[in-house]
Amino acid sequence: MGDNDKKKILVADDDRDLVLALSIRLKASGYDVCCAYDSEETYRLAQENKPDLIILDVRMPAGGGLSSIERLKHSLTTKDIPVIFLTAFDDEEIKEKVRRLGASGYFRKPFDDAEFMAAVARILGEA
Amino acid sequence: MKVYCVAYLGFDSEAALYLESSLERAGLKFTSATPDIQGIRKVAEAKPDIIIWDTGGASGADVNIPVEEFRKAGLENQPVIALVEGGDSEGAIQSLASGAVDFMYKPLKEEPLPRIIAALNTGQKQNRARWYARVIDQTNDQIKAILAAMEDPAYIVSPQFQILHMNRAAEEIFGEGLRGGTCHHVFYDRTEPCEICAKTKGPARWRAVLKNGKSYRFVSAITRNSKGEIEKLVVGTDITPDEEVKKIHRTFISNVSHDLRTPLAAIDQYVSIMLDGLGGEISEQQKEYLGVIKRSSFRLHNLIENLIDANNILSGHLKLTTEVTNVKDIVEIILPRIKAQAENSGLSFQVTIPDDLPNVYADKARIAQVVANLAGNAIKFTEQGMIQLRAGFMPRDEGRIIVSVEDTGIGIPKEDLANIFELFYRVEKDKVYVEEGAGLGLSISREIVRAHGGTLWVESMEGMGSAFHFTLPVHKGDAVIR
Repeated sequence: MGDNDKKKILVADDDRDLVLALSIRLKASGYDVCCAYDSEETYRLAQENKPDLIILDVRMPAGGGLSSIERLKHSLTTKDIPVIFLTAFDDEEIKEKVRRLGASGYFRKPFDDAEFMAAVARILGEA
Repeated sequence: MKVYCVAYLGFDSEAALYLESSLERAGLKFTSATPDIQGIRKVAEAKPDIIIWDTGGASGADVNIPVEEFRKAGLENQPVIALVEGGDSEGAIQSLASGAVDFMYKPLKEEPLPRIIAALNTGQKQNRARWYARVIDQTNDQIKAILAAMEDPAYIVSPQFQILHMNRAAEEIFGEGLRGGTCHHVFYDRTEPCEICAKTKGPARWRAVLKNGKSYRFVSAITRNSKGEIEKLVVGTDITPDEEVKKIHRTFISNVSHDLRTPLAAIDQYVSIMLDGLGGEISEQQKEYLGVIKRSSFRLHNLIENLIDANNILSGHLKLTTEVTNVKDIVEIILPRIKAQAENSGLSFQVTIPDDLPNVYADKARIAQVVANLAGNAIKFTEQGMIQLRAGFMPRDEGRIIVSVEDTGIGIPKEDLANIFELFYRVEKDKVYVEEGAGLGLSISREIVRAHGGTLWVESMEGMGSAFHFTLPVHKGDAVIR
């Protein structure tokens, strides 16, 4: 399988340590990973790279994950890319908002690796 | 016996003489004077019980009783009989309208005594009524003074929701000159009465955000007006500071918990990465040490979640997401984890849940949390033996489901039994904490069960094990008596 066949995942979180951890794990599972550390970068990289999945944090500089998903879902290039939220907030209101904005999943930090990876695989149609 | 005094005010000496002779014959005192201010003052000195006012040639609409002058002379409580020209019915009516209790036609022919006694009677009744009216006025003034002195908004509305009175604080919020408008329209811009008033005629409580942007808690009390109709007195208390504190508190907790979980996620991930060999090969020893980090971070995570939970529950923010479900399904959620935990501790774990238990109306995740907490405690405090998880049906009243977790562990000392559900309470053994934990789990569990309408209790003897039981009301559509 060539590199071009790999599914591409954009990981967006302002916690660089966690982004690195996620990219190690995702790469180990055979995914191509690119990283963003704020909302602007997230939008730009999503437009440029057209990833197959975006993992999005809620609290990020330059707007935050909620405004990011709103922008992404309004853009023709990115509107069909599934989004999984990964946040340390445990807030029913945020959960509900995220669902309405079209997110495909919601995980709360700290999260279970196995469950998280299973959701990634399922959303990418590999499970 | 009291001797009544009758005063005649008029120019008609013939009438005066007639009255004097017939009244003195009956044992009454008589005094007379001219019908002017001096005359009124003069008869007032004799403290008459009744006044006969001679309209002195006036007729029709000109016949008026000088009530104001009488009042000034201290004769406001004395009944007045008017003397009008014979046949002047319009004058007679006018005299009654202007304050007389009765009238007699001139020239006087009949015996005046019965009319005078009747007038005294009427006068007494009128005085009593006037006294009541004055008391009512006074009370009303006092109520309005109390309302005026209050810093909280208050108003009175009629049965038709018309604003009868607003105090200064209410006027400061809503504006002046609103009397007569309906409260739902003036205060809340509604065309129909608010639900709370439409629903209940009795006293009520509600909360509202008013036009000044502040939150108020209102309490209404019932009063009756002179017609016996129900009026409402409504008093509001500004609870904006409370609400703001609550909001700040919520935001604070939300942010603190976010910031506590964020580094935990990183710790967790890197430990997993190393354990999975994604950071290179590791020795068995290293694996063991990483396991300790993993377990510790798991404990720290639990502690954070419990603290947040306890905080939410204590501040009244326990939100249940209820559905019709059954205990078996709830237990399934956490059974694999509990079983693994028990096995790791070398304990046998037995589950007995009948298939035909009635349904409950519950928050599955929350009740699972309670079962996990009780089972976790049982495992923690049992060195050897077994843990039993049982569920059953109690048909009494509308029916309840009872869930029990029993162990063969160290038990709970008698002196601690009453306190173990208190927040942060921990059983000390020889002044040393026997296990990790913050003393939150049981308080949280009890509140969760309570919020479902159930009870959580314990039976235990030191050294003999413990049994925790909780009940849940059976879902109403399912209340079958067996």
